[in-house]
Amino acid sequence: MSSENQPTAAMDSLLQALQVNIIPNQEYLLQGSILDTQVQRLLHRLKGLCDNVETAPEQFFDYEVCFSLRAPMNEQTLQMQQAPPPLLLRVRRSNDPADSHMPFQLRYIGNPELGDAKRPTLVRASFDISCSPSIIDFLTEMGCRMEFEYTVKGYLFRKGRMKITVSKIFKAMNMNQEPLSQSYLVELSVLAPSGSDAVAEDMRVFAEKLKPLVILEKIDYKRLATVPYD
Amino acid sequence: MQRDEKHMEMFIENSLIKLKDLKVAIGQMCHKIEFEYETINWPTFLDNFALISSHLAGLSKLLALEYTPPIRNLAVLPLHLSPDPDEHLIQITEGRLPTFAAEVVPDYLRTKPDPAAENRMNLHEAKANAITNDAASKQEAQFKKIVTHIGELITKMKEEWEMESLHRNLRTETCNQNDTQILMKAVGMGIGLSLKTNTPAMLMQQPGGMARVPNPVQMAASSPGMQMNKMPSSIKTNIKAANLHPYR
Amino acid sequence: MGVTILVPYPLEKKTGPEVIEDLAKRLLAMQATPAGQFLVDGDIFDNPTMNKTKIHVMHNSEYPASVFSILDNGQKQIPLITDLIFDLLMLKVSPTYQSKKSLKIESKGPRYELGDFLIKLGSVTMSQNQNFKGILIEVDYRPCLVPALCWDLMREFMQGFLGQHAPTTVPAYFTTNIPMNPVQHFQRYNDTYQPIDTVQQYLEHFNNFRKQTQAPMMMTPRN
Repeated sequence: MSSENQPTAAMDSLLQALQVNIIPNQEYLLQGSILDTQVQRLLHRLKGLCDNVETAPEQFFDYEVCFSLRAPMNEQTLQMQQAPPPLLLRVRRSNDPADSHMPFQLRYIGNPELGDAKRPTLVRASFDISCSPSIIDFLTEMGCRMEFEYTVKGYLFRKGRMKITVSKIFKAMNMNQEPLSQSYLVELSVLAPSGSDAVAEDMRVFAEKLKPLVILEKIDYKRLATVPYD
Repeated sequence: MQRDEKHMEMFIENSLIKLKDLKVAIGQMCHKIEFEYETINWPTFLDNFALISSHLAGLSKLLALEYTPPIRNLAVLPLHLSPDPDEHLIQITEGRLPTFAAEVVPDYLRTKPDPAAENRMNLHEAKANAITNDAASKQEAQFKKIVTHIGELITKMKEEWEMESLHRNLRTETCNQNDTQILMKAVGMGIGLSLKTNTPAMLMQQPGGMARVPNPVQMAASSPGMQMNKMPSSIKTNIKAANLHPYR
Repeated sequence: MGVTILVPYPLEKKTGPEVIEDLAKRLLAMQATPAGQFLVDGDIFDNPTMNKTKIHVMHNSEYPASVFSILDNGQKQIPLITDLIFDLLMLKVSPTYQSKKSLKIESKGPRYELGDFLIKLGSVTMSQNQNFKGILIEVDYRPCLVPALCWDLMREFMQGFLGQHAPTTVPAYFTTNIPMNPVQHFQRYNDTYQPIDTVQQYLEHFNNFRKQTQAPMMMTPRN
């Protein structure tokens, strides 16, 4: 610390950064899926469209676990006869031994906003936090409950600020197990400071280029929850 | 037929007007170069040049127009050739061209092929006369065979391509809405990811087996302007391993 | 990086700024060079329904991109190192965990460099009123990473600089067994020193200051 200035409290500078919109806390998201039989065509197309042409797609093999933290019941919530929705926290780490030095990732995801038809993507609050492996113990002791876990294996592409993942979802850790479906999950996302709505338009244009192989859309989670699972 | 002729006439008239403009422009330019070469400056010169080029552009545009009759199909026939000076010609060319003769316009008045082309034609003719009728018909049959074969190949290829593209259009099913929903629900809400135990034991088995915290150096030291001793993390783990040993 | 020892320094009927000034003069006389300012702060979050569980969220200006959190459930402490956005997350858990503003504590003051040593003279203040609580002196020996290998050297240095107030024995933080990790039977004394160790030492002293209900002898509000 070579400057003679008083260091400002970390929290103050963070709130200041938040105010001038330099902290990426919004995720713009489009989702879809592609059948296993067609995934090579999609990968081929993405390879042509994306930035990392030379290095081919980056592969990843991650484990993710989702925790929930329920607010304590107080008089107000008891009156409403309904607990407030729990806070969901996700922890992700790489299964690849080569990544053992990489920090774990803690992720808070807020409620998705679909917006009107004019808005090209879904938008949700998102904090991505790098952290030490003690995070699991930490959250458990905090009173978080583990909700579900899964393993995800796939490919990562980049195009400017956009991130495209094509991944297969497996239950928990058992890789011998059947994957969850005969399709790959395709996600197009950008993590940006709030107010970067211009990026959503770029995403729409990009998603257009993947049609009709994959239809990337704003997925309405609320509507999804009411559709019976089959 | 009559309409075509009328059309042609109109076109020629238009072309003549444009040619006249071009001629005037070129004439002015020549005049300037001849008489004002001491006072003329670059901008004026370039202006004149631009004028000429715009006339040329206009002319070529007219020639390129779709409804322009194909004038290359028209033949120019010399009706009267005479070595004597032609008064009329002198008049319309402003004294530039006294006679219309082969010395002045060799290409227009050529009656024989180009000498090089003529040579080659003679060569081919000699060759054709050299072979017998039998050999010629044999060669012809062979040639026919090859051509039909290539033709067949092309049609076959074309059919294949058409089939394939037809097939591809039929097979548009590349994504399944139901699968999308299953994946969405699983990743978003955990539906379908049934839980057996409540302890994520797998997470604890971090590959590489860290004892306390993972190289905090890497996370903590990532900010610029720090005056810390930059100890590479590999050294750190080495020391640790050495320390661990007696306790195992 | 290096090994850090944190020691409280008594006021002895002087004001905080006077003590800091005395120590600074002593350091300058020893040819130390001033090297800016530092700040370590600590916040407590607690959960009304889980009385014993407290989350300490701390920052150290030496590691400006990190947040050091320590969860204390009364039996064990779980340290967690994250990047700065963790602070925003702690705002999100507010229905469950709330920050105790009155117990927010910080230590700040000048930094000095002297050869391989780094010395920080911290004035500890608490709550938004910035009540002065005492003085904490941080001594870093930067070339070494294992306390056992440099303790003698550091003790000698501290004796020269702090005189009778220098610690004569290894601070308890390094000699108590680590309860949280059954794999580790050894003490921190023989382990590789890590940034979280500095923060944990601060936490110990901060908690002592928090418990101390009365202000020190000479109370001097600092701005």
